[in-house]
This record gives sequence, C-alpha cells and structure tokens, in this order.
Amino acid sequence: MKFKDYYETLGVARGATEAEIKTAYRKLARKYHPDVNKAADAEEKFKELGEAYAVLKDTEKRAAYDRMGANWKNGQDFQAPPNWNDGFEFTEGGGYNPGYGGGYEGDQSEFFESLFGRGRHRAGGRASQGNTGQGMHFKGQDHHAKISIDLADAYNGAKRTIALHMPTLDASGHVSTQERKLDVSIPKGIKAGQNLRLSGQGGPGVGEGGAGDLYLEIDFLPNRLYRVDGKNVYLDLPLAPWEAALGTTVNVPIPSGSTLELKIPAGTAAGRKMRLKEKGIPSKEPGDFYVVPTISLPNAETDAQKNAYKAFEQAFDFNPRANLKG
Amino acid sequence: MTQTNMTWIEGAVVETEIHMTIVELAQASRTPEDLIMAWVSEGVLSPAGSSPQEWRFGGDSLKRARIAAHLTHDLDLNTPGVALALDLLEEISQLRKRLQRENLG
Repeated sequence: MKFKDYYETLGVARGATEAEIKTAYRKLARKYHPDVNKAADAEEKFKELGEAYAVLKDTEKRAAYDRMGANWKNGQDFQAPPNWNDGFEFTEGGGYNPGYGGGYEGDQSEFFESLFGRGRHRAGGRASQGNTGQGMHFKGQDHHAKISIDLADAYNGAKRTIALHMPTLDASGHVSTQERKLDVSIPKGIKAGQNLRLSGQGGPGVGEGGAGDLYLEIDFLPNRLYRVDGKNVYLDLPLAPWEAALGTTVNVPIPSGSTLELKIPAGTAAGRKMRLKEKGIPSKEPGDFYVVPTISLPNAETDAQKNAYKAFEQAFDFNPRANLKG
Repeated sequence: MTQTNMTWIEGAVVETEIHMTIVELAQASRTPEDLIMAWVSEGVLSPAGSSPQEWRFGGDSLKRARIAAHLTHDLDLNTPGVALALDLLEEISQLRKRLQRENLG
C-alpha cells in the first residue's frame, strides 16, 4: 500500500490553516467534479481530493495523520505503525462521504481505510423518500451505471451481457466489490446519453419494500468511421479530385452493417454535406446520415505523375487565390 | 453458446417512454421532494402538470436532477447556483457537439 500525501493532493503546505485547506479543496473540487470535468481521470482525482479533505479538515484525524505521516513521502510503500493512533478519539461523522457516484458511499482508498477504518458509512443507508417508518418497509435504492455499446447496436438492437461492479458492505463492515452479470436487451434506436430503466434490478428492499431500479446510462464506443450527434450520424468520404470534379458512384457503409449506393454529382466541393434522410439512428423520427466529402490528392512521385499534374494545370486557367489581395 | 435459454432483461428508455412522478424522481436522484420542488420553482426542471402530485418528469429530467443533486451535495451549491451551472454545462455540451460535427473537437 502506498502512502498518500494529503497535503500534496490539495496543494497546501503542512502548516496550512483550516481556512486555507477549505479554500484549496473547494477550488479543486469545482475543477475536478466529474459532472463538470469530462477527463477520464477526473472522477478518480475528485475522490482523492475528497479523501484528503476529509482527513485534513477533521482536527483529530489531521493531528493523527500529521504525527504518523511526518516522515513519509507520497507513493512510498507504507505500513501504519502499531498503536499509531493511541490517544486519539475519532468521532463519528468524520468519514469520507464523496456523494458523487450515485451513492456508492464508502469508496475509500485502502490507505484511508487502514488508518481510519470505515468512518461513517452510509452505503445502502439512504432510505427511499416518502417513508414514514411504520413497519420498516423500504423500497430498495435505485442504482445507476454506465455502459458503452457499439453504434451498430443502436441501429439493430442487441442482446448484451454486461458486468457491473457494485461496492457492498459485508457483515463486518468492510467494503468489497461484487461483480454481477446481467443479460440486457438493448433496444433499437437508443441514443448516447439516454437511460434504460431496469425495474427491480437495483438495491434490495427492506421488509415488504420491493427492490429499487437500475438505470443504465448508454454511451457509444468511439467509432473509427462515424461521428454521432444525437440521432444524426456523420461520415467523412474521401474522393479523388477527378471523382469530385466529374462525379462518380460510391458504396457508403452505414452503421447497421449494410451499404448504400450514393451518386456523387459532378462539381462536388469538399465539405459540402450530403444528407441521406432517415438513415441515421432509427426511431419513430429517425435521424439523418450525413456524408461529408473530402478531397484526397495523390502525391506526384514518378515523372508520369508529375507530368499528369502539369497537364492538369495547363488545361485550366485557374487561380485559387484570386480573392486574396494583400 | 446458444441464447435460446436466456432471459434478456428489457428496460424502458427513460427519456422517451417514462414520465416520473416526484416520488420516483426523488428516489432515482436521491433527493428530498422539497428540494425537487425548489428546483422546479427555479426552472431547473420543467414537469408537465400543475401541482406537485400531478407533476410528470420526462425527457432529460432524470439526468438534470442527478447532476443537480451531485452539485448540491458535492460542491455545496445553492439552488440558483445549480441552475446557472446546469445552463452553462448545457451550453458547453452544445459547443462540444458543434466541434465534433465539424471534426475539430
């Protein structure tokens, strides 16, 4: 297990005041909050910030951490000395509650857990709203997860077995991760950002309360060929200069797996989108498929190729910079 | 592997097929109902219906409510702050999409 330098995480000096620590945390929390910051490591960074703040803002924890951690550097292999927290009393409620993550509270690092134990876990704890507590019947918590699918799955529908990792509390109060597999039917026409509600697949209920629901947020895997915007799909189509000038017919692959024959008219300019109506993501109101022509120039390497280009030049009285006047 | 014996779980698409009551939205976003009411007053959420019991939240309400809940809980934002943040995030999202469409982003 590696030592975590919480001061370094927050960018504050070891002697920083509580006010300085709070300000530093808030600035960084705003910056790295996963709903605000779309970088891949934002969530991890946000959790680290929360953990560092939970320790440094709590007088008792900070004192214990300072005493124990004075001689350690960030990333060093670490083992807490026995009795390191003698004489310190940790109050309840000082735990790390990241909040973000759809309620999977209790997601502390191994380092934090080894020093401060569970803190105050609220995993599985927030009862559903509207319960007045008679007879202890609670509907289970709703869970949220994200899955990535191929664009082709949105066109055709798909059956997918997905693996979800749920942090759970075991009997002794330790957080572990349970893997669960679900066989899910992905409906045709689903779009990135939409949520599928799977009834009863969420957290278990209490008493006669039913299980909560599982919400799966759909995202598309990055696609080599296509760009997606809502229900519209875009494809760059490279053309040779003579194809763009004289016209041609091309076979355009669409995400469902089939191809469409598309006539490229003579005089097609690069960037001039061609719309294939209703060939986007299927739906009651299907999206459109846009082909965006680009012109690719072959390199002039051999003499014959260079001569061909020179002949090309001779055939035209063409100044592309006619409008560029200094 | 044959698939004939498997039961494939079907779900409903929230954005197009589900209209949540305030109770369902409170549950799904882990937010107290009175905070949801404050968000409706602020214009963060726009349900159909004229009273809280009649409200039905559709479209991107779930997504907005969850982001609002996260910002409130994690960043200590008040309701007007949450409203502004959501507006700005939406604008950033639209700009990113434009860049993506033009193959620049």
